[in-house]
Amino acid sequence: MKDYRNFLKEYDGPPIRIMEVCGTHTASIAHSGIVSLISSKIQLISGPGCPVCVTVTEYIDRLITLSLTPDMVVVTFGDMIRVSGSRQSLQDVRSEGGQVRMVYSPLDMISLALAEPGKTFVFAAIGFETTTAVYAALMDGIVHAGIANIRILTSLKTMPRVIEWVCSMQGGIDGFLAPGHVSVITGSDLFVPLAEKYHVPFAVAGFEGEQILIALYALVKMISHGEGKVMNLYPSAVTAGGNKTAQRMIETYFEPCDAAWRGMGIIPDSGMMLRSEYLKYDAGSRDLFSDHSHHPACLCAKVITGAQKPQECPLFGTLCTPDKPQGACMVSTEGSCYSYFVNRRNA
Amino acid sequence: MCVAMPGKVISVHGRIAVVDFAGNRMNAEAGLVAVKPGDSVLVHAGCILQVLPEEEANILADLFAELEDL
Amino acid sequence: MRITMAHGSGGKATTELISSIFARYFDNPILAKMEDAAVVPGAARLAVTTDSFVVTPLFFAGGDIGKLAVCGTVNDLAMSGATPMYLTCGFILEEGVEVADLERIVFSMAETAKVAGVLIVAGDTKVIEGKGGLYINTAGVGFLPEGDFEVSSSFCGDGDVILLSGTLGDHHATVLSARMGIENTIKSDCAPLHGMVSALLKENIRVRAMRDVTRGGLATVLHEFAVASGKCLQIQEDQIPVTAQVQGLCGILGLDPLYMANEGKMVAVVAKEDAPRALECIRNSPYGQDAAIIGEVVSGDEGTLLLHTRTGGIRMLTELYGEGLPRIC
Repeated sequence: MKDYRNFLKEYDGPPIRIMEVCGTHTASIAHSGIVSLISSKIQLISGPGCPVCVTVTEYIDRLITLSLTPDMVVVTFGDMIRVSGSRQSLQDVRSEGGQVRMVYSPLDMISLALAEPGKTFVFAAIGFETTTAVYAALMDGIVHAGIANIRILTSLKTMPRVIEWVCSMQGGIDGFLAPGHVSVITGSDLFVPLAEKYHVPFAVAGFEGEQILIALYALVKMISHGEGKVMNLYPSAVTAGGNKTAQRMIETYFEPCDAAWRGMGIIPDSGMMLRSEYLKYDAGSRDLFSDHSHHPACLCAKVITGAQKPQECPLFGTLCTPDKPQGACMVSTEGSCYSYFVNRRNA
Repeated sequence: MCVAMPGKVISVHGRIAVVDFAGNRMNAEAGLVAVKPGDSVLVHAGCILQVLPEEEANILADLFAELEDL
Repeated sequence: MRITMAHGSGGKATTELISSIFARYFDNPILAKMEDAAVVPGAARLAVTTDSFVVTPLFFAGGDIGKLAVCGTVNDLAMSGATPMYLTCGFILEEGVEVADLERIVFSMAETAKVAGVLIVAGDTKVIEGKGGLYINTAGVGFLPEGDFEVSSSFCGDGDVILLSGTLGDHHATVLSARMGIENTIKSDCAPLHGMVSALLKENIRVRAMRDVTRGGLATVLHEFAVASGKCLQIQEDQIPVTAQVQGLCGILGLDPLYMANEGKMVAVVAKEDAPRALECIRNSPYGQDAAIIGEVVSGDEGTLLLHTRTGGIRMLTELYGEGLPRIC
């Protein structure tokens, strides 16, 4: 089985551009030093798969307003705390008395809400399909227990429309490393229509270094043979059809909607929000589209679709660093510019 | 953001399972997959997403065979 | 009984607090004089350091804020090659602190000071409004050996070997687990390392640079060494000791042991020929049983820290960016 490593290292065919569309894949690739193990003719590009990175400033501004509202507490994953809205981040507003708490799981909200019935707890519900399943489980728990003091503010994104956006932007992506944990929920079949429409291969991959190498091997092989299909290289967790219970639960509480992507604009049907019958649990998620994040010279939209590299952005490393990020790609530890800055990953 | 980790189910009480991750015990939501004590599970943000098989090697071997045919 | 503003007023309540707790446990002839300043014998060259401790929770598996304060200060002195001698400690107490908790912390400091061979010779107490928070500031003085012994992060040279004294991430993992209610048996590694350092120096190990691995983690320290020395430091991921439990916690929370805080670990860069003896020295010292050789210094790629990953790839490491996680020491 060692052959696939040699194959990737010695590949000398036409140059290939592969995109990973999951922020956790971006982090794993950097973590394992994957780029140093493959031929320089195989270029890895980070796509818009980091939910923190693609959240627009208006969403964060709304969270900040909520955190300053009497008897309201904003609850969030740690990832979101440092992201700036149009002026400041949730971390900044804490020092002004903003009520912000960090949790590991959205389900921790339930015990928080029961412990303090006089306060309303609002969860900053960001994520792709993987995390949407968790929010659906949370909604199920809230509804069945009749809990009245929980709300969610959603900035939920889905994979198919944004991958389609990338394909249609003609950034010249030859193959996709498909998100492993999104696929656990949706099933690898999610990518079949895209593979067929754009005649481009998808390899669903796990997150260990070895699993990523195996998936890259599959992609290079499929690309070399002109195969536009979906291969599941994470069969221990992913099936073709996915987790049906999770899908049903998501459908019960959420429905597709248009979504705004930081630095990219509005992509129709690329997000999810609470269905009308559950809107009493919503904290005002509709039409949070406004985006005042970027410096006019910021190239995030081009970097995130693989059209340009982080180091080609005039702000990279100077005005835009992990400590003072300008745009989506530098904001989170899963962003492509952050990854390149910190790990010198060759994008 | 899709950080998920395999763990072992220690016990199940209704919709909450106690899961062990190399000696770290946490509660996880068990409403999305049917689980029982002893199962290996994948957990994301406090929620069990999938039951994992004990044997992975065979499945990968088949996939490699498929790739060799290309 | 709880601390009130009266305890900080300088009057009777203050005197009683000092005599019943601080003077009682820190008891030594210098402190007993209770003058405005402690007069102590010195040395030709002194190492001086200061630090403040604000960790919550105050008590955690393997230690408490008091033990942390003594070890942290002692280790800073030891890392410059000094023998730690004297500590001061200033307490800032918010109203509402349980006196019993304060007593436990002070007792812990006294015990740790005995192990570390230091005297606590001066102190101060202030009480402010609040909700039971407790903060400690220390200053430490140590004696440097005669001669021109010096270690520096800029002294790393080609071929030098990098040693780590034990497992990474234990302290950070302990505090996080306590805050997040995760059950495990991880304990803080909080420990004084003066014995480990003096063992190395007694063996005449040629130590170029050494540092205790605290906030920012191993990667931050080694990156500093690389930049200061203008060299390339290369380390092997599979040689770096991390317990399975800490690794498990990192997996759940998406953390990286290379950037996690420790309170009883040091890294030393030594001359290549001395490396095997240095390893044995550290392994035979208290708190060094899991020590390992983790890498080496090479030329080229100036100022970089490279990790050879478990997957066989190469990853460049920088210093820790951003706050990372809530304060843990």
